[in-house]
Amino acid sequence: MHVQISDLQFHYPSSSSPTIRDFSLYMQEGEIVSILGESGSGKSTILRLIAGLERPEKGSIRVGNQVYCEDNRSFLPVEKRGIGMVFQDYALFPHMTVEQNVMFGLKRWKRTERLQRVDEMLELIHMEEYRKRYPYELSGGQQQRVALTRALAPKPSLLLLDEPFSNLDAHLQQRIRDELRDTIKHTGTTTIFVTHDEEDARVLADRVVLVEKGGVKQVGRPCDLLRKSLQDRYQQTPIQV
Amino acid sequence: MTKSHFSVILHVDDKHSHLTKMIINKGPGIMKMKRKLPTTVSGWGALALFFVTILSLPTLFLIFRVFQPPSENWEHIREYMLQSYITDTLLLALWTGVFAVAIGTTLAWLVSAYDFPLRGTLKWALLMPLAIPPYIGAYTYHGMLNYTGVIQVTLREHFDTAVSQRYFDIMNMPGAVFIFTLFLYPYVYAITRAFFASQATSLVENARVLGSGPVRIFLRVVIPIARGAIVAGATLVVLEVLNDYGVVSYFGIQTFSTAIFQTWFAFGDLDAAIKLAGILMGIVFILLFLEKLLRGRRQFSYSNTKVSPLKPVPLKGWHKWMAVFYTGIIFTLGFFLPVAQLLYWSFLTYEDIFSNTFLALIRNSALAAGISAAGVVIIAIVIANFARMSKGWLPALTSRLTVLGYSIPGAVIAVGVISFFISMDEWLGAFYSSVGASTNLVLSTSIVMLLFAYIIRFMAVGYNSIEAGFDKIGMKFNEASRTLGMGWTETFLRVDLKMIRPAIFSGFILVFVDILKELPLTLILRPFNFETLASMAYRYASDERIQEAAPASIFIVLVSGVAMFIFHIIIEKEPN
Repeated sequence: MHVQISDLQFHYPSSSSPTIRDFSLYMQEGEIVSILGESGSGKSTILRLIAGLERPEKGSIRVGNQVYCEDNRSFLPVEKRGIGMVFQDYALFPHMTVEQNVMFGLKRWKRTERLQRVDEMLELIHMEEYRKRYPYELSGGQQQRVALTRALAPKPSLLLLDEPFSNLDAHLQQRIRDELRDTIKHTGTTTIFVTHDEEDARVLADRVVLVEKGGVKQVGRPCDLLRKSLQDRYQQTPIQV
Repeated sequence: MTKSHFSVILHVDDKHSHLTKMIINKGPGIMKMKRKLPTTVSGWGALALFFVTILSLPTLFLIFRVFQPPSENWEHIREYMLQSYITDTLLLALWTGVFAVAIGTTLAWLVSAYDFPLRGTLKWALLMPLAIPPYIGAYTYHGMLNYTGVIQVTLREHFDTAVSQRYFDIMNMPGAVFIFTLFLYPYVYAITRAFFASQATSLVENARVLGSGPVRIFLRVVIPIARGAIVAGATLVVLEVLNDYGVVSYFGIQTFSTAIFQTWFAFGDLDAAIKLAGILMGIVFILLFLEKLLRGRRQFSYSNTKVSPLKPVPLKGWHKWMAVFYTGIIFTLGFFLPVAQLLYWSFLTYEDIFSNTFLALIRNSALAAGISAAGVVIIAIVIANFARMSKGWLPALTSRLTVLGYSIPGAVIAVGVISFFISMDEWLGAFYSSVGASTNLVLSTSIVMLLFAYIIRFMAVGYNSIEAGFDKIGMKFNEASRTLGMGWTETFLRVDLKMIRPAIFSGFILVFVDILKELPLTLILRPFNFETLASMAYRYASDERIQEAAPASIFIVLVSGVAMFIFHIIIEKEPN
């Protein structure tokens, strides 16, 4: 579903300057957008605003025909938004098995459909034989796949990923990035993911939004944007011969 | 960090620093208020506010009634007795505080900074005196020291010496200070030791590198940096002294607690009792204010991310044996001797005591403690969940009020609860007669009154445990659940509640044990003919049937000792 975000503004009560200023973004259905920025740039806050975990002071968010929030007039609580979110450290429920975790978001589905969906999703990530395991019995990469599956199982209108690779070993990242992209493209879900890693953005995203100090600095295709950022960097640091 | 009486104490104590932060951050707090709360949050909030209001009513009632016109008794009390109540109470609190700090701090430092034989065992053994309620310690020591006690008998029969009785009399002010110090110093010990373990390392190692000697380090570095922890521990000790009724009444010392009992039971003058309670509460508030002042801006947080424990320096030669002797003698006096004596007395009397009556005592104690502890835990969960769901001044105030009862002495809570229940009965009088009840005193003669008072008094213990449990799991699981379409309440039932089970369990046990040991509330508020282990032990002891008091006492000591031991093991296992 397409996404329309306009003029978001937000600040945490503890800080005096706004954390997010005039953030706007339009996304087409099925697009994967990366929000790229350094730590403290406000990129995770944008994700929390879209998810409904924080409430913006100004601005609106619409996904498909649904209004998530509009200035101070309306605010759809997070549980009513029908989004999927993968947290930085996955937040898999430690007291539930893989299967129960994936099924958690399907409570309003019919029993047979629910079971079928879990089978389908576990098959997609090749983890059928792990269904009775608990999260602590899985490797980091497996936990990440389960978290992604749990978020995708209820067929969310929008998928949000918060630094999805930061907890993985470097040598795993390449393979998992490809897998993740395949899975998301397979389901055709509109996706926003937040990262500080340009390489993540280059491999995964259709489009990159560069944020700095809570506002949009640049938007563009990954190849254009990253080429430019590389150029900037070389201009700033003269090469010594 | 969860569990153990002591970490609970640490949390009680974190609350104070929390308040300072709250006051400092007032500005943004008001900003937050403007944001509207979602409906489920206001549902939880309404329930939380309801509980807090009910729990605060007796105290508010008391404050309100303090200013009513005085009775004749009050004039008499004010003129002839009030001054000695104030002097004796303050002297007792002051000296106990001083000695408890001296012993608690030196023990904590010795165990943290030095290595000597038995250190590993003594480290936790030195907490054990807290398992013995001071009133049990008081009559045990009296029993050991009096004419027919083990010490004088041994001297007479084996050494043929008779020493003047006055050397063995501990039923006086110095005796009470001795008893309180011996059984309450672990508060100071536990908090300062936890502080040394987490904070002191780099500063102390620096001082060592700079060539300071051990005494200089202790006085110039350790004491100043641990000031906050020491003051916090001392405050808890003094609050316990102000709360006590058993020791002072057994030793015949006139403090506010005994005075409140007397005016209520002997004179039947509730108004005068309320006035005394009001003054005592004033003293407590001054004390809490002083605590804040003494701790100053130096809060606990010295923390850098790397917490490495202090590496203990091995002691050599006679220093080593001095350390063993000092720690050993405190443990012997504070735990080993009284427990051995109680076991011996129990052995002498158990045949007469262990009967259906004793089983009934256990049942009464377990029921009262179990129901109240369950109440505490349920209310704590509701309030703590509200406090984490929404920000701002209201939840902060709610959690502050929740933990307030722990600072208020039992006698004060008792008077507040009694006057509150009597008014409730008067108010409900018409309703009682319409359903054909023969009396107007329904609530105020029922066990509900006692359970209600227990809940007020020990709310903080349960609340801190539950809050620590919530802090430990953080918000991410809750948020994950809500992104998956579960509302607050569903998330609470399916995720949060399941994940804080250990905290619920430990909160319940801690409150249960505290209620088992509790004396002043039990004595004042128990319904006619309702005896618990604690009240029965106290009754036997005050009838000079000390040996018969032993089985009930040893039961209380063993249950709290085992609970403390278990929590100690859990804490040691848990990193941080």
